[in-house]
Amino acid sequence: MEIADFLAPRIHIVCGKGGVGKTTVSAALALVAARAGYKVCVAEIDHKGSLPRLFGASEPSYEPSELSPGVWALNVMPEDALAEYLEVQYHMKRVSKVLTSTHFTDYITTAAPGLKDILVLGKIWYLEQNRAPGGRRYDFDTIIVDAPAAGHMITFLAAPMGLADAVQVGPVKRQADWLIEMLTNPARSIAHLVTLPEEMPVAETLETSQKLDDELGVSQGVTFANGVYQDSLSDEHLALLTKPSSLQSCADSVGLRLDKEDFDALNGYASFLEARSAIQAKHLRVLAKSATRPIVRLPHLFGSGLTLPDIETLADEIEGKLQEL
Amino acid sequence: MNPIQRITATKQIIVCAGAGGVGKTTTAAAIALRAASEGKKVAVLTIDPARRLASSLGLKELDNVPTKVNRRKFTAAGVEAEGELHAMMLDTKTTFDEVVYRYAPSPQQADRIIANRFYRNISGTLSGTQEYMALEKLYELHVTGDYDLIVIDTPPTRNALDFLDAPRRLTGFLESRVLRWFLLPYMKAGSGFMRVANVAATTFLRVVKRIVGGAVLEDTAEFFVNLEGMYDGFKERARAVQALLQSDLTSFVVVTSPTEESVAEAVYFAQRLNEARLPFGAVVVNRVHPKYGDGIGARTRQISKLRAQEGDGALLADLLDNESAFMRVVRREERNLRALASKVPRHRWVRVPYLEQEAVDFRGLVAVSDQLFDTGGGPSRN
Repeated sequence: MEIADFLAPRIHIVCGKGGVGKTTVSAALALVAARAGYKVCVAEIDHKGSLPRLFGASEPSYEPSELSPGVWALNVMPEDALAEYLEVQYHMKRVSKVLTSTHFTDYITTAAPGLKDILVLGKIWYLEQNRAPGGRRYDFDTIIVDAPAAGHMITFLAAPMGLADAVQVGPVKRQADWLIEMLTNPARSIAHLVTLPEEMPVAETLETSQKLDDELGVSQGVTFANGVYQDSLSDEHLALLTKPSSLQSCADSVGLRLDKEDFDALNGYASFLEARSAIQAKHLRVLAKSATRPIVRLPHLFGSGLTLPDIETLADEIEGKLQEL
Repeated sequence: MNPIQRITATKQIIVCAGAGGVGKTTTAAAIALRAASEGKKVAVLTIDPARRLASSLGLKELDNVPTKVNRRKFTAAGVEAEGELHAMMLDTKTTFDEVVYRYAPSPQQADRIIANRFYRNISGTLSGTQEYMALEKLYELHVTGDYDLIVIDTPPTRNALDFLDAPRRLTGFLESRVLRWFLLPYMKAGSGFMRVANVAATTFLRVVKRIVGGAVLEDTAEFFVNLEGMYDGFKERARAVQALLQSDLTSFVVVTSPTEESVAEAVYFAQRLNEARLPFGAVVVNRVHPKYGDGIGARTRQISKLRAQEGDGALLADLLDNESAFMRVVRREERNLRALASKVPRHRWVRVPYLEQEAVDFRGLVAVSDQLFDTGGGPSRN
């Protein structure tokens, strides 16, 4: 698949259980897009701003800011989205502090559950439509949505349908229909699932994928299996480990001294890798057997914590794997 | 004695807190399992819809009332079952309904609240409700006196601190004078004041009506009218729960992984517990990579020479690469844990190594509990 085809829908929704690396994958996808010359914006939803930190930037705001050339980000908080909605729809700029207070937002979003999600999706729609307060134009080519954790994700994406059912007429009904069209039109939006090769994340991913198909009609791109140990060892490696004298003579040939502790370390980490890889392989088989979309494996990174070079590596990996699809 | 042993021996309530995905539920279940095997009657209350936990305990599903785990599960895994282990999963809506029935002046009023649409939304979506009901359930179980120990995990919030603030957020919302004052025109009891509602209130109502519709406003007003007279009960109970959590019957266990972000959050959380005068008991550091040796430290040049060799040399190069990759992870974790040690003394920690099997069944939980209760063979600090 060509990168341009992959990026044809402008909205990419990155979904997955908490802790599987959605933000990391969102950042890597943003680099893929930016390298292809697209102006990209990552929308974090109600997050703590871990994405800008990856790029060495400070806290994100509701206003998009440029993190690195071509890569922008914003943090969509429902309170801000509500304020913007009121301003755009009802020209109510700062009617009262009350309107954006926590209790008010809590009230509104409790009175009409799903409204919070609608407001957030509405902001994505504004970005896609290239509208922003004060008539600013950002002209983003690609919008990456770092979606809420899986449990909430389905209700998040289903919110416009709920609202369209509840409200039969009027502007709110019309707006809900716009959002449904945005989410279910494969030319506009596509969802990618992120998982880890572990039991619960795989089970939840398969469930989420099914729901996206059956209940939401949101089209799916690829499933990213994150943190996969790459260099599994062969039987030959393991056989060599049982022959310390052969190991020692190899080491001697390059002037490396190996003592008892070093042999134990080589053994210990080889067996740790084998054990963890075997567990991963089991879950990857389950995933491969039931997944209905292509699976892109992303390597486990041994770097010094997640930093920009790690994201670059993942972006390389994604580019390569997409072209193989 | 390690801190988990000490807490389990002396406390009646253990709250496992931490960010999502660090292993809170598994930790809670493993602590409960060990305490039960050693003779206590234990209830583990989980908030996560953890189907895996249910099946690993041999239960079809977890319910809003504790279900006893079959003794055979223990014996099959080769551990004693001198006490009893009961497990349950919080059902927020049912628990809230019970609370409403308890505090409503009459069953009819409770019925009206429970049938109200705004109420139904609150129990499903208002943030803070789940946390509040978790504590409510914990308190209920405690006052029955049926259990020697109750272990609870906390809701999977993105930010562990939400848990501490949530109950106040819910009661604050229900009690919000501002909201009720704004809703006056819709409250039948207050219809006399309707005409004097000020400009802000009118604007508020106009906006809300446009966004959510008039029917919703009526539901809400009805809800708040019916809630009158129940606040004292709520507040009284909230105070009692707070007092129980602050008492020396309770201990908080902060669960973390050895990543930088997670450790920073755990430290902050421990500090917040202190500020809130909630008894901090221990940190559990989950999934710590094993450490073998101090690093072989093969040079890049040596490894590339080996790689250039045919056969065994290239194989050794792979093994050395693998060793140095894991050593980088180990060093990074050590650095993160040094940061933890500067804030939380080491005798308050327990490390659980990254096990070579997963804790997906009863045996897996037993393996985790062995690690949690391990005195490590190292020097005991107490």
